[in-house]
Amino acid sequence: MIDFERFELENGLRVLVHQDKSTPMVAVNLLYNVGSKDEDAEKTGFAHLFEHLMFSGSQHIEDFDDPVQMAGGDSNAFTNSDITNFYISLPAANIETAFWLESDRMLGLSFSQKGLDIQRKVVVEEFKETCLNRPYGDVWHHLADLAYKEHPYRWPTIGKVPKHIEDATMDDVKTFFYKYYRPNNAILVVAGDVNVDDIRQLSQKWFGDIPAGATIQRNLPTEPPQVLFQRRINECNVPLDALYMTFHIPERTHPDYYKVDLLSDILANGRSSRLYRRLLKEQKLFTSIDAYITGNVDPGLLIIEGKPTEGVTLEQCEAAIWEELDLLKNEILEADELQKIKNKVESTLVFSEEGILNKAINLAFFEHIGDAELINRESEIYQTITVEDIHSIANQILTKENCSELFYKAKQVEVVVS
Amino acid sequence: MLDRTKQPPIFPIQNLHLPIPKKHILQNGIPLYEVNIGGTQEITKIEIIFRAGRPKEQKPMVARTTARMLREGTQQFDAAEIAEQLDYYGSTLSSTTNLDTANIVLYSLNKHLEQLLPIVSSIVTKPTFPQSELDTVINNSIQQIKVNETKCDVVAYRTITECIFTPDHPYGYNSSEEGYEALTRQDLINHFQSEYHAGNCTIIISGRTNPTIIQLLDQYFGTTIPRGIYVQPTFPKIATTPQKIKKIIPDSSQTAIRIGLRLFNKQHPDFQGLFVLNTILGGYFGSRLMVNIREEKGYTYNIFSGIDSMVYDGYFTIGTEVGNEYVADTLKEIYKEIDRLRTELVGEEELQMVRNYLLGNMLTMLDGAMNVADIIKSIVTEFLDYSDFTSLEKTINTISAEQLRDLAKQYLVKERMFEVVVGV
Repeated sequence: MIDFERFELENGLRVLVHQDKSTPMVAVNLLYNVGSKDEDAEKTGFAHLFEHLMFSGSQHIEDFDDPVQMAGGDSNAFTNSDITNFYISLPAANIETAFWLESDRMLGLSFSQKGLDIQRKVVVEEFKETCLNRPYGDVWHHLADLAYKEHPYRWPTIGKVPKHIEDATMDDVKTFFYKYYRPNNAILVVAGDVNVDDIRQLSQKWFGDIPAGATIQRNLPTEPPQVLFQRRINECNVPLDALYMTFHIPERTHPDYYKVDLLSDILANGRSSRLYRRLLKEQKLFTSIDAYITGNVDPGLLIIEGKPTEGVTLEQCEAAIWEELDLLKNEILEADELQKIKNKVESTLVFSEEGILNKAINLAFFEHIGDAELINRESEIYQTITVEDIHSIANQILTKENCSELFYKAKQVEVVVS
Repeated sequence: MLDRTKQPPIFPIQNLHLPIPKKHILQNGIPLYEVNIGGTQEITKIEIIFRAGRPKEQKPMVARTTARMLREGTQQFDAAEIAEQLDYYGSTLSSTTNLDTANIVLYSLNKHLEQLLPIVSSIVTKPTFPQSELDTVINNSIQQIKVNETKCDVVAYRTITECIFTPDHPYGYNSSEEGYEALTRQDLINHFQSEYHAGNCTIIISGRTNPTIIQLLDQYFGTTIPRGIYVQPTFPKIATTPQKIKKIIPDSSQTAIRIGLRLFNKQHPDFQGLFVLNTILGGYFGSRLMVNIREEKGYTYNIFSGIDSMVYDGYFTIGTEVGNEYVADTLKEIYKEIDRLRTELVGEEELQMVRNYLLGNMLTMLDGAMNVADIIKSIVTEFLDYSDFTSLEKTINTISAEQLRDLAKQYLVKERMFEVVVGV
């Protein structure tokens, strides 16, 4: 149970406060409602590049990190398709430094050309390090592009190609900032040994005079239902073959989302799960296998991935997975198997309440998708799911026409003997 | 009018206090450390540590494979039953090794512990190492090596540690396909029988503990793990000549760089000072390497330096992946930063920032019972004392710019460093 209080400033900034007296640290988390889905298809990777620029100095503060470190704190951020999220954790006594820093970069950035030039290079190196220079690193480029035809989830957060990042201009930066980095498009969460009155006063003091921006109307295209099975074969320089399958699933706030989550757990959460136990351990078809859901705000994907054992073909692996999926569709599972998955979920949720930074990030995310109170209802939602629910959702989701497959085929290197 | 140009006053971090765990001795002599500092959740983490790592091996990769195989079948339960029970009660169990120890870690809700402990007990006392499960583990490990050998950073890491400690040393050798293929079931049985005894074992429990749980631990581990005596391992002598190594992985879009040299374990009187020195060089986001090579030049997404300490040794490395066209200049700048530390005094403001950052870090390490348990684990397994935590705080607060420069002069010697470059 995560208790919190909520208030809103006149400029529209929403503030949530969670009190946890057991810790000497505080977490200050600021979520902006902007992600890579808000990008232009020809300028992808920009939301994430912009996240880097938030650390390159603001209107009154030359360097963001030095004051955080001077206050004994640590700070970082992440961007995904839906949101850009910044956080600082620091000793409770120094909390005001976090308000000073976060409010100044919401007020205005320094918009330094040098900062942009450097961070473009840094992000291109990040692109290489995470996507280009490791085997299977470009898998998300392929999957997103294969599974989505209309919705901007069709490109990955890092961007389609490095060139999009290299081409970003200062004009792009300024437009983006004044459109999205406004108080009415943000959620601030403070967690730690704090009280709501102090936080109200600090919020008013530091964020109160930042003007609101225009209300943003998102008009994202809806992804049309997939009607045809598709497969892409990617013959390339990877050490081993690999197989990926995607299935479209409902959005994060849809009641069926929780059922699909349990469905993916039945497939591959833990060593007693169906795919791990039967296909990896018993039939020894795979050397690794996994299944998970993306958790996107808009309709996301369930993904199954694995690497075949030497001598086993991708086609054999694929057939074995379909056999398991058919079993789930044809037979109702035992109550005990569902209970096991629910017990796992209960544990996961309890452990996710360890640590104030986790709690702050989660509260901000749930507030973003509608209501932070949902975080305390999830456990109950999972517990009400029945074996019949799983059976019906399996039949709905795990169909051939809802599936896209990606095969990585290791290129056979020709040995030239002279 | 609000003055946004000035940082609000900051307060020094004082009185870091390491909660001393309650120490119990189980019937067979195993020390059990209990870390309970409140917390809101009815959860516990139980870590069972055996000094059964590489220094005790008769053959490469035996330690790691033995630990991995513990859960793959016991006299009471087969691998499937173990997996089923652990999952059914919502627990997470890992069974891995670092260089020195095998660590079996259970995370669980308190209400399920009574069902889970018999299984964990069986895993650490009665494993059978079934051949068919071993085949799978070996096969999957070999596949993993094949994937890793295509990664520049992994190849660079494997190369530098092998250079620093030599391929014949427990801390230096790399896992290999041939090594895995040479492993037999009997090797694991031998390793298990000689090393998984009470004399090599420590248990740390953290979270919301209570006397009933402590009693259960004595029942399931105090009466089942055989007594034994810890024997200090011996190591081959290391004689190396620093060298520069270039390895080629065709078509790489980045090049991995590792630079490093051998140091020592945490008991060495200069360890704590070097810890502060390393932080300045490459141990946090505001470090000199990060500011110079990432934030001023944009050559890389990440660059770091670190000191790794094992129970009986230690080493220092610098690591980064840079665009291929930046390799020469990155190397030049890394050595320039090392040289600056050896010749110039660290400025007062930078030193204060590092002190504050590190103290804040220590405060984070003390936040929550499971974090505290990690500090206790390091102290106990590396033969340190609780007072070492306090003395680290003191070193951070008081080490002078002159002392840091002298440490750099003494230890960060370019002529003694290995340099590994892996890319096109």
